[in-house]
Amino acid sequence: MPDANQKRTNSALWLGLLLTILAILSNSLYFLRFPASLLPWLNVALPVIGLLFLLLGLSRAFRQSPIYRGKIWGSLVTVFAALLCAGSLWLFVHARDVPRSAGAPQVGQRIPDFTLPDTTGKPVSLSQLFSAPPGIAPPRAVLLVFYRGYW
Amino acid sequence: MRGIRDALQEFTAQGIRPVAISVDPPDLSENLRKKQGYAFTFLCDPKAEVIRRYDLLHKAGGPGESDIARPAEFLVDRSGTVRWENFTEDIRVRPRAEQMLAAARSISW
Repeated sequence: MPDANQKRTNSALWLGLLLTILAILSNSLYFLRFPASLLPWLNVALPVIGLLFLLLGLSRAFRQSPIYRGKIWGSLVTVFAALLCAGSLWLFVHARDVPRSAGAPQVGQRIPDFTLPDTTGKPVSLSQLFSAPPGIAPPRAVLLVFYRGYW
Repeated sequence: MRGIRDALQEFTAQGIRPVAISVDPPDLSENLRKKQGYAFTFLCDPKAEVIRRYDLLHKAGGPGESDIARPAEFLVDRSGTVRWENFTEDIRVRPRAEQMLAAARSISW
């Protein structure tokens, strides 16, 4: 029976934990110049791969306990990582819960005119957005960016 | 919108005027503009009237179950016709400024 101190480090557990933590941290990449369309999938793939490594590590710790460490702390780390994983998945589902907007103006359609106040409270209509002071070329297009808000 | 801010000169050079619209009241939008250095027009639709009319309402999508706009982008020409549009399926994913400029370049105005 080998001494506990001679057991091998269960690196699968550490790698798994690292991946699930990286998954949560990867959300901050949205504020950097990272291709955002890849991130949602990264946020799902990382914790799932991480959890697989943790399960591998756990099975080592329990089935080959004379060789590998990690029965107790490995179990605790896996529970913690499973919670992080659930958080990542919840974020993924929540972020994709947007209305389909089937009734929105389509390409080729005229957009209904509107009038809304600007940040000084002055009402501005869509057609006014195309006007420019004398001497300055008026815009040929307006890019309307609807956003969720600053709150 | 940070992308638009950083590429504002290119948008202007292409004759495109970016305009941001949300449910935020004027003072809040003005704070955001100042804080982030957004030098383009912000319009305010606190009652979500225009947002609702364009079917862009995200019911209870905001804090405290408040109704907000879903992210969406429209490139509209002088006749008021939509020439390009984008509806994200993930609120974290927005079109990059380069994508919008490329879309605008591919249109014959």
